[in-house]
Amino acid sequence: MIRRAAIVMLCWLVGAPVVSAPELAYNLEAREIAKGTWVIEGSTGNFSRDNGGNIVNVAFVITGDGVVVIDSGPSRLYGEALRRLIESKTSEPITHVLITHHHPDHAFGSQAFDPDTLYMLDGAREMLEEEGDGFSDNMYRLVGDWMRGTEVVVPANTLEPGILDVGDHRFQLLELTGHTGSDLVVLDETTGVLFASDMVFYNRALTTPQSPGLMIWAGELARLEELPYRIVVPGHGPIVSDDSAFRQMADYLGWLYQTLTASASRGLSASEVMQQPIPHRFDAVEGAEYELIRTTTHLYPKYESSALVLLPE
Amino acid sequence: MTRLAIIALLATSLPAWAGLPTDPYGSPMWEYNVERYLGNVAPVVLDEQVQVKVPPFAENSSQVPLTVDLSNYPLPIREMVAWVDLNPIPHLFSLTPGPAPATLVSMNFRVQQATTVRVAVLDDDGVWHLGSAFVDAAGGGCTAPSMTAANPDWEQNFGTIRGGAFSRVDGVRFKFSVMHPMDSGMVDGVPLFHIEHVVLRDSASSDPLLTMNLSESAAENPMLVFEFGHQTPDAVLWMRDNNGNEFERKLGGQP
Ligand SMILES: [Zn+2]
Repeated sequence: MIRRAAIVMLCWLVGAPVVSAPELAYNLEAREIAKGTWVIEGSTGNFSRDNGGNIVNVAFVITGDGVVVIDSGPSRLYGEALRRLIESKTSEPITHVLITHHHPDHAFGSQAFDPDTLYMLDGAREMLEEEGDGFSDNMYRLVGDWMRGTEVVVPANTLEPGILDVGDHRFQLLELTGHTGSDLVVLDETTGVLFASDMVFYNRALTTPQSPGLMIWAGELARLEELPYRIVVPGHGPIVSDDSAFRQMADYLGWLYQTLTASASRGLSASEVMQQPIPHRFDAVEGAEYELIRTTTHLYPKYESSALVLLPE
Repeated sequence: MTRLAIIALLATSLPAWAGLPTDPYGSPMWEYNVERYLGNVAPVVLDEQVQVKVPPFAENSSQVPLTVDLSNYPLPIREMVAWVDLNPIPHLFSLTPGPAPATLVSMNFRVQQATTVRVAVLDDDGVWHLGSAFVDAAGGGCTAPSMTAANPDWEQNFGTIRGGAFSRVDGVRFKFSVMHPMDSGMVDGVPLFHIEHVVLRDSASSDPLLTMNLSESAAENPMLVFEFGHQTPDAVLWMRDNNGNEFERKLGGQP
């Protein structure tokens, strides 16, 4: 029986016409979290061929005089699905696509939008220009076919921090540095929604490879928390209407900093740091072990170096 | 790549000699590298007391941390050899301990692709005790140009050594880093330029605490850690690269 099945299989393989891969689709769904304000919530996983890189929160605001989009998603396919989703909710034109920072999950869906509507902070634009192709190679490797046709688009328009009025909405644009060195945070003063992007991760371990420093990040986080927000949309993880995302984020940053500092002062090797257990209070934080390995790789050498003294000849 | 494929082919067609256990990781280079670095005479046993700690994946293929933890390994140590199975030049280091062997050794290595990492320790009876670990990698660590050489200031920092001695419940841990490009010779137009010899000596008696030979798989700007369990010597570090540059520093003892 088994043998026969194998032969049938073989015939099927030889005789079968070239079958194209199953059609990939993101099936994006938007949730209205405030008046005219929609969020598409991604998973808290890592980039994979299962999720197509849809691990990110993307949002749009229908202002009465055009749509403001915050981040364009991880791929061309995602960007196109996002645009169709927006068009299904409103007939207003998309006037602003604000790319919060240069990471691929936030910036790689931009091809789907009119280039004249794409905006980014100057520093972030420069980094996207420099590192975009490297990110792109990595994304093709990690999520495969979902990336088909995706090319790095560096937004044409430079975004200045300050006030942006569109329709009935007044947005406060803030430039911060903690996550990548150039991070846009958008506060919609009209609704009190804080689009924190990757300055805030919630129930998802933060990614640190481009962070200028954990304590810089923590300081800026404290500043953000002072803002008159009602709802927080983190870059990754669930949307909350209290300070729980800020609490967890500050705690987690503090723990990371303590861990790296204490480890360096004890002379621990990087592999010893990577193997340290994650405290149970972070059980809800997805990807903590994985990100500890990445954080240690990128940030620990500085801590190690400052715990050693220059040895004279 | 082709050469590697041929070697792999050769390796799989070699007969296993008596006493070589099956590789729990099923590496195609198992027998070939064991024979290459340990010979085919001394018996080899798999030993979990030789703890090889590497991350499950390489976030940076040019700097993958390795820690060899021998704190639970009960036997005397005559030699220690480490290699990275699927690197173009697998050998990472060989280490000869002094009378009181280091109980922990750590350094970073490069990976060219996902691979097993091996550390073998020779006991007094001539038996190799071998520990393994696997690291996943996107690769390219051996053939990526060094970051140091790409930085125009590297010559200024060349040979800068930072170090420290950290007290332990029993003994002392020495940790030091040296700015050195450690060019593997596998990047076009960049010849091999790396630290080959590392020696730690007891500053009072001049007896070696350990001598170590490094190979092409070692990462640039090496950060080395050695822990000694039952003594607290003042140590002198001496290193030499293949261009004849020598480096000597006092590492201090237990603070
Ligand atoms: Zn990000």
